[in-house]
Order: sequence, then structure tokens, then C-alpha cells
Amino acid sequence: MSRRQFDIRLSVTIASVRIVLRRVFRPLIIVGGISALSASCATNAPQDTWQPKGPNSKLIDDLQQPVFAVAGIIGLIVAVAVIYTMLKYRDRGQPIPEQTHGKPALEITLTIIPALILAVVSVFTFGAIFKLAKTDDTEMIINVTGQQWWWEYDYPVQNDFGITQPIISSGQLVMPVGTKVLLRETSRDVIHSYWIPALNGKRDAVPGRIQTLRLEADEPGIYAGQCSEFCGLSHANMRMEAVALSKEDFAKWVANQQAPYVAPAKDTLAKQGEEVFLNQCVRCHQVNGLTRADGTPAIAAPDENVWSGAAPNLSHLMSRNTFAGAMFNLLSKQCRDEVWNASSDVVGAKYLAGVTEQCLNQKDLRAWLRNAPEVKPMYANPADLAVSDGKYRGMPYLALSEDDINKLVAYLITLK
Amino acid sequence: MAIIERPAPTVPAIVTPTTTYGSLKRPVSATGWRSWVFTVDHKKLGIMYGATAMFFFIIGGVEALLIRLQLAAPNGKVLNADLYNQMFTMHATTMVFLFVMPMAAGFANYFVPLQIGARDVAFPRLNAFGFWALLFGGIFLNLAWFLGGAADGGWFMYAPNSGPVFSPSNGVDFWALGLQIAGIASLTGAINLIITVLNMRAPGMSLMKMPIFTWMITVVQFLLLFAIPVITVALFLLSFQRNFGARFFDVAAGADPLLWQHLFWIFGHPEVYVLILPSFGIVSEVLPVFSRKPLFGYPFVVFSGAAIGFVGWGVWAHHMFASGLGPVSVAVFSLTTMAIAVPTGVKIINWTLTMWGGKLWFTTAMKFAIGLIVLFTVGGLSGVTHAVAPSDTQQTDTYYIVAHFHYVLFGGAVLGIFSGFYYWWPKVFGKMLNEKLGSWNFWLMVIGLNLTFGPMHILGLQGQPRRMYQWTEARAGEGFFNLAFWNLIASIGSFVLAVGILMFLINVLITARNPQKAPLDPWNARSLEWMTTNPPKEHNFDVVPTVHHLDDFFHQKYEEDPVTHTMKQVRTAEEIMAEQERNADKHIHMPSPSYWPIVLAFGLPVITFGLIYSHLISVIGGVIVLFAAYGWALESSTAPDSDFETNTPGTGLDKVASNHD
Repeated sequence: MSRRQFDIRLSVTIASVRIVLRRVFRPLIIVGGISALSASCATNAPQDTWQPKGPNSKLIDDLQQPVFAVAGIIGLIVAVAVIYTMLKYRDRGQPIPEQTHGKPALEITLTIIPALILAVVSVFTFGAIFKLAKTDDTEMIINVTGQQWWWEYDYPVQNDFGITQPIISSGQLVMPVGTKVLLRETSRDVIHSYWIPALNGKRDAVPGRIQTLRLEADEPGIYAGQCSEFCGLSHANMRMEAVALSKEDFAKWVANQQAPYVAPAKDTLAKQGEEVFLNQCVRCHQVNGLTRADGTPAIAAPDENVWSGAAPNLSHLMSRNTFAGAMFNLLSKQCRDEVWNASSDVVGAKYLAGVTEQCLNQKDLRAWLRNAPEVKPMYANPADLAVSDGKYRGMPYLALSEDDINKLVAYLITLK
Repeated sequence: MAIIERPAPTVPAIVTPTTTYGSLKRPVSATGWRSWVFTVDHKKLGIMYGATAMFFFIIGGVEALLIRLQLAAPNGKVLNADLYNQMFTMHATTMVFLFVMPMAAGFANYFVPLQIGARDVAFPRLNAFGFWALLFGGIFLNLAWFLGGAADGGWFMYAPNSGPVFSPSNGVDFWALGLQIAGIASLTGAINLIITVLNMRAPGMSLMKMPIFTWMITVVQFLLLFAIPVITVALFLLSFQRNFGARFFDVAAGADPLLWQHLFWIFGHPEVYVLILPSFGIVSEVLPVFSRKPLFGYPFVVFSGAAIGFVGWGVWAHHMFASGLGPVSVAVFSLTTMAIAVPTGVKIINWTLTMWGGKLWFTTAMKFAIGLIVLFTVGGLSGVTHAVAPSDTQQTDTYYIVAHFHYVLFGGAVLGIFSGFYYWWPKVFGKMLNEKLGSWNFWLMVIGLNLTFGPMHILGLQGQPRRMYQWTEARAGEGFFNLAFWNLIASIGSFVLAVGILMFLINVLITARNPQKAPLDPWNARSLEWMTTNPPKEHNFDVVPTVHHLDDFFHQKYEEDPVTHTMKQVRTAEEIMAEQERNADKHIHMPSPSYWPIVLAFGLPVITFGLIYSHLISVIGGVIVLFAAYGWALESSTAPDSDFETNTPGTGLDKVASNHD
């Protein structure tokens, strides 16, 4: 290389180093700014994994925070080391360096240090894994069954909690605070995953298996969750909420769930709604205690109509705040905000008030009754059901008249 | 640096194919499209692999942009649920199987023979067959878009959601059978490259003098050799379930759907290293060249790569921490996952120390390589946070995971691939990519990818699950920096990223139109592939080099001053090249083009198409395969002497091929 060529190369290199410097520092400021801002990310995100509200999620959080911190520091060290090297050894016309092939001692040291850090982390990880798998301290059992695209909660008889007959509910998991609840999960079709971030990590609901998940809330409140294993068309619309109530409030909730069916008074719109329900809805949806005109109990047969073999039990529907896999609210926005934003000492009372006539979210409920597959993607087109033996996945279009819808809404609001 | 004009690489002209093998005469393939379609030349196949991968990269990229458009605002309406599910399934499938893997195969095909001083791969026709099988498999996979909808079960295709009831369109059939064909391509490629590396290295090149890129590719081929059969079995089970009424994943018949997850991830985790190790190899070549120093701790990098290859088989269940494996299994896989972080960390340390004490030249290739060090580290560290199994149960299936593997795959694999583009472009095409546009390309990509995938860490940790076609404001939280804000930023970032990649495509066009030729040794490089013309002659080297050192080309150019230990140039690349030409080998056997690889490969999608629509079509496909195999078997890989012109001008050889003398 001639002297002149070398000079050209050098000036090009210096120019490119300048560009690098200018362009490295500018993004550095941006990146630094972004990470500083990220410290102030969304407030009150309902599914924030860094806001534990129970001992299981706190155990996870206590374990992960130092790991995040150490990872952050190591990341910073690497970035600084790389940038420092870039600046210090940029081509300033120095001769080609000695062709050293490495220093094994340094290499081994730098291998052992991260191995040691990880060894320490793994000790704490092991402890947490086994604590989170414990089942022998369970105080209460709730069976949770996933299907496309909603969750069913089934409370087996547990006299300690006043549950003298099984309670079947959906959408919202109601549980007492300060109680070690064990969910026994399974699925009726594909794999789903149960996840209430504020209370614990997730556990898949796998068909053919029963798997357990510990859940315990420290304070009364409503904790949001979302199905987190891809489960088909309406995976995004398969939500859930855990409602933690004080032990007294939970007892009241149990009592209400076990209260007998109250038929609407004769000659009311609601009574006509009951008839529509018996004609249409009871094919799949059970309302405990509902009888036909001849006095025989109306038993739903979802297994004949739905691929998963189940449809939400609508007894005491208005004691819940959501419907259709917790995709829609039964409460109007204002009423819902009141419950969600209530402090822990009054949230129970507000929740137990259920859905009143004034608070009912008529718009979404009517839209659902009018044409369910239009507002929630489901396999409900009769032409496409050959593959599933003519059975629906989700609620079909029922061609209800506006008149029938009026009657049904009037009836449903009586299911306190 | 002078530009040496050299004769264009000359394809040996076949004038009169005299012999009929099986049923067809050998192709006359001197020029035009035939010289590509029937070629068995590893360099042409490498370029075709690259072009195919780039084509699918653009398709996968458009799919990604549609996904981000849909998610830019709550309750997105760009795609419906069904189309969205197809989109994310095919985005991942395309990027993994039809972009990164073929691109790595392209680099491997082109550079492994050159780096080890060989004239081609061990089985040139098998090599061509692998490429065509990949291309046809990829096209077959994407045909589903036009025939009732693409696969919609996610690239992990968990049972039983992949079953005929839950995914009634033919998309999953196309997916399973298309991947089966692509798998055949990977498997033949793996066998071919392993044998090439083990048997065809230049004299003196012991394994520990082998260039690090070739080493990493070798590790990858072993991973493929053992991983592809696992996914093949899984895909067969799935196809039989869907097309022939088998019940491998049918719970009602007593099956356990976790069987699929184990099979998929026993393949799927080694696959992760299949995707990343080639890029590790590329930057391990680029960093020493532009630091003017050998790779720091070469044996450590080799053995840590091999260690990753081994330990990579023992970590699969970390994809299943939430699926209910039981605490003992979870603890074991948690530990192995942390263990694999160690050899990976070794590489980061070695790359940094390679630059330390060097003489750094910040070309675009170097920028991409440095970008990989920093951004892969981000992905590696977030990986460690979910090796901690309990915290993984909060993170898995959220956007935090999406952030993690995009830092690993985009910040790692893709930046490595782009580093390779800029570094080797003059070698492959004889022209330098524009460095100024390269700089734009780099910075837009790096800024874009951080804007896209950085916010996903926050989205995931604040509770946004993956694979949701819509997100709702009800779960987005409050404040200016709520999840709606970060979703929007991620979507904007994806378009910045797209503009960055567009810069590359523009750069390729501009470079193609630029008449200026690249210098013989533009980067003052170190390994054997630079010891020949740009682009290399068909037979790669006039003289098969004899190797004395790691980085042998560098040591032919430079000698160490025994007193000051500084390096002194003793010869130029041009002098080495001229010497080679003076001593050029007189008789070189190059494999001859053939019809059979493409014909045989074409039979495969015909068979699989028939499996979906009509078994009669499968029979036709089977006949094509048998016919091609018959012709292939009877054809010798090198055409007889009588087929060739003697004294082909411009090669410096009086005869480019002769019968086995």
C-alpha cells in the first residue's frame, strides 16, 4: 500500500469512526431515555406480572427481581465494554497488532464467573419450584375446566365453606381471601392456560389430564387474567377474572349461589322470557331449578349440540359481572368501574350487589343474543360443521326476534 | 489497492452430450437459465438458496407488518381472527424454515467448500436436489393461502388444536407436508456438508485449523441430522391423524397431547441453535478480519459451539414449564437451561476480547457484527430470566417471550446474516455493496428492531399474551406509557425496520448497476475463500492450497517481526493469486450438470398434493420420483471426456475435465 493510499484509507477510517461515534452516542441517549421511561410504564395494568397480590405471585416476584437486576447489570457491562473497546481500539493508523490467540486463564475465569452466578440463581429457583408445586396445605379446591372459549368453575362440596351442594359458575372465579385455594384444571377440547398474573404464574389446562395451580389472594379485589395458551379462533377473547372476597362475603356469595330458583311472576315480560329460554337456550344452557310448564325439570343437553359438550351454566347469572368467556361486561362501564376501583374493604359488598336493572350492559347483551358469532368469532356456521359431527363450537346465531330478545333480557335479569 | 482484471469464471462448455443415461441425455448447460436450473455447482446453488431465502424473508416480513398493523390500536380490524391466526403461524414458519435456515444453507453451500480449500461439496447432485426440494416445499407450504387458507395453529402446532376438527381447512396439511419436504432438503444438506467437511479439507487443514464459520456450520449440520428425524416423525403422526384417521393425539382414544409438545420441542430447541450458530460463525469471521487480530480463544469458541450443540438437546422442556411436567422435571430443565447460558456467554466474551487490542475498521459488516454482540446479549439475558422456571410461568406465552426470541433471532441470527452479506458480497458477486447505504441499512434496522421488540418486554411483563388477534383497552392500564402506547411504538418500529431492509434491497440494485469491480482482497481477509478470484472460478482454486496455520491466507500475506511482534506484510493477495495461476492444476474433475435433482425434487410436492386431494396424483408423483431416481442412478457425476471441448479459453487450463485418469 502506498503512502498516499494509506492516507486516504486513514482519512476514510477517521471519517467513518466519527460517523460511528456520532451515531453511537445519539442512539445511546435515545436508548437510555427509553429505558428510563420504561421505568414509568403503564400504571395499574390489570395483568401486570410485577404487581403480585398473593403469596404465590410474591414468591415468584421475590425470586425474579434480583435476576432481572443482575441481568440488567451484566447487559450494561457488556454494552459498555463493547463501546469502550470500539472507541479505544478504533483504527488510528496503529500497526497491525500481535496475532495473539487468547489467554486460557482469563477465558476460564470468565467462564466460571457466570457459571457461579447461575449456580446461585438455580439454588433459589429450585426452592421456589418445589414451594409452588405443594398441594398438601390446600384449604379449598375449585375445579377449573377450559373449553373454546370460556372457563367453567366447579366448586365441589366443602362444608367448611358452606358449600353443601356443588356450585357451577363461569367467567369469574370467586374465592375467599387468605385461603390456600388449589385449582384442579383440565380441558374439554384443546389446551388452554389459566393465568391470573397477580396471584400466580400460569398452568396449562390439558385435556385428559388434571393439573393443579395454587391460588391465594391477600386482599379482597378483582384480579384480571387471560387464557394464555393459543386455543384457536377466539383465543384473544377467552378471559377470566378472579374475585377475592372476605370470608364473610364469600359465605354470602356461596349462600346466594345455593339459593333456590325463583321463577318470574306470571304475566310479566320476564315470564315470557322464561318461555323463550325454555324453547331456545335450554338446549345448551342449564339454569338450576328451572322447570317446564308441565313441572318437569328442564335439563340442558349441551353434549348434543356443542363439540366440547358444555355451555355456561346460567344459574345466578346476574351475580357475575361478565359473560361470553368474560369477553363482555354484564355491568355498564360506569357501574363496572365502581366495582373495579372500589377499595378492598368495600369491593366485596359492591360485587355481591350483582347486576341491577340500572347497571345492566344492555347493548352488549342484546348484541350477543342477536347474533353471537358476529361479536365473537366462533365456529357457528351450520354449513361448516360436518367436520365436528354437526356440533357447534361456541354459540350459534339463533335468529331471535327483537321481541324475543326483549323478553329474554327481562328474564335473564331475574337470575340474581 | 489495485484492481486486478481477471477472466470471468468460465463454465466448461459441453458441446455434444453423447451418452444417454437411463432416459435423458445430460443437459447442455453452458449459458442462460439452464446453467442455473440444472447446475450442481455449490456456488450457484448457494446464490439460489440466498435468493430463495430473501424472497421468503420479504413474504414473512409483509406478514409481520400486517400483524403489527392489526395490533397498532386496540380492537384492530385489519385482519379477522382467522386470517390473523394464519398470519402469525405462517410468519414464524416462513422466517424459521424458509428464511433463516435456507439463508444459512446458502452461506454454508457457498463458503464451506471455499473455506476448506475444496472444489465442490461431496455430493453435488444431492446438493442441487436439496435446494429444489426446499424451494418446492416452501412454495407448497404457501400454496395453502390460495387453497382455502394457510395453517392456523401457530408454528408450534400444538395438538389437539391442530386436529381436523379444530383446524378444518387444509392449511395444516399443507404445513405438515410442506415442512416434510423442506426437512428432506435439510437432511440431505446436512449429510452432504458433514461429509464434505470431514473428507474434503485441503492438505494440512486439521479440524483445529478449520475456519470458525465452517466449524459452526458443521455443528449445525449434526444438529439437523439428529433433529430433523424427530420433527419428521411428529409431522407423520400429524398427517396420519389428519389424512388417514389415526388418533395419536386424540384424548378420547387415550392419547396424551403432551406427546406432540415433547416431539416438537426435542426438535424445536436444537432448531434454535440451528438458526443462531451460522450467524455466530459469520461474526466470528467478520470480527477478526476487521479487528486485524485472530479470533480470541479459537478453541474456546469451537468447543463452546460444540457444547451448545450437545446441551441444546437437554433443554427442550423449558418451552413447557407451564404445561404441568411436575416439579422435578421443571427443576432439571431449569438447571440445564441455565447451563447452556455459559457456553453462549463464552462467545460474547470472546468476541469482545477479539476486538480488544485490535485495529478496528468499522465497515458495515463490522457494524452488524458488533450489533449482534450487543443485541444478542439482550436476548440471551432475557433468556436467563425465563430459565428461572417460576418466573417463566409468568412470562411464557406473553410478549416478553416474543421480545426475547426476536432479540435472539433478529438481533442475533438476522444481524449476523446481514454482516455476512456485506462481508462476502464482493466475493460472491465481484462488487462491493455501497457502504454509505449500508450504514443507513444498519442504523435503520437497529433502531427499528429496538423500537419494535424493545417495547414487547414491557408489554409482556405487564400482561399482554401472545397470539391474540386483538387486544383490549380494558387490560392496557393507565398513564401515558400504557400498553396502547407501547403497542403503537412497536408497530411504528416495525415499519422503520422494513425501511432499513428496503435500504439493503436498494443497495443490491445500485451495486448491480455499478460497473466498478471489487478489489481482489478488499478487507485484507484471513481465510481461504479470499485466496481466489471474485467471484471464484468454477473450480474455486487453480491450485488446492496447502494449509499451515489457522487463518492461513493472512499468514501467507504477513509475517511476524520476531523482535517487536508486529506484523509485516510480505506478499500481497495479487502476488499469491498470480503464483497460483502460474502453477494451476492441469486436470480438474468438476461434476457436470444434471436434470435429475430438479425432476426428483418436483415429484415430492406432487406426492404430497395428492395426499390432500386425490391419491391418484400421489401415484403420478411417485412415478416421477422413481423415474428421476432411475436416471440419477445410471448417470455418472462427471460427464465423459468426449463431451468436453479441450482448451476452454480463459481458464488457464488446457483441459477442465477428463475421464478418471
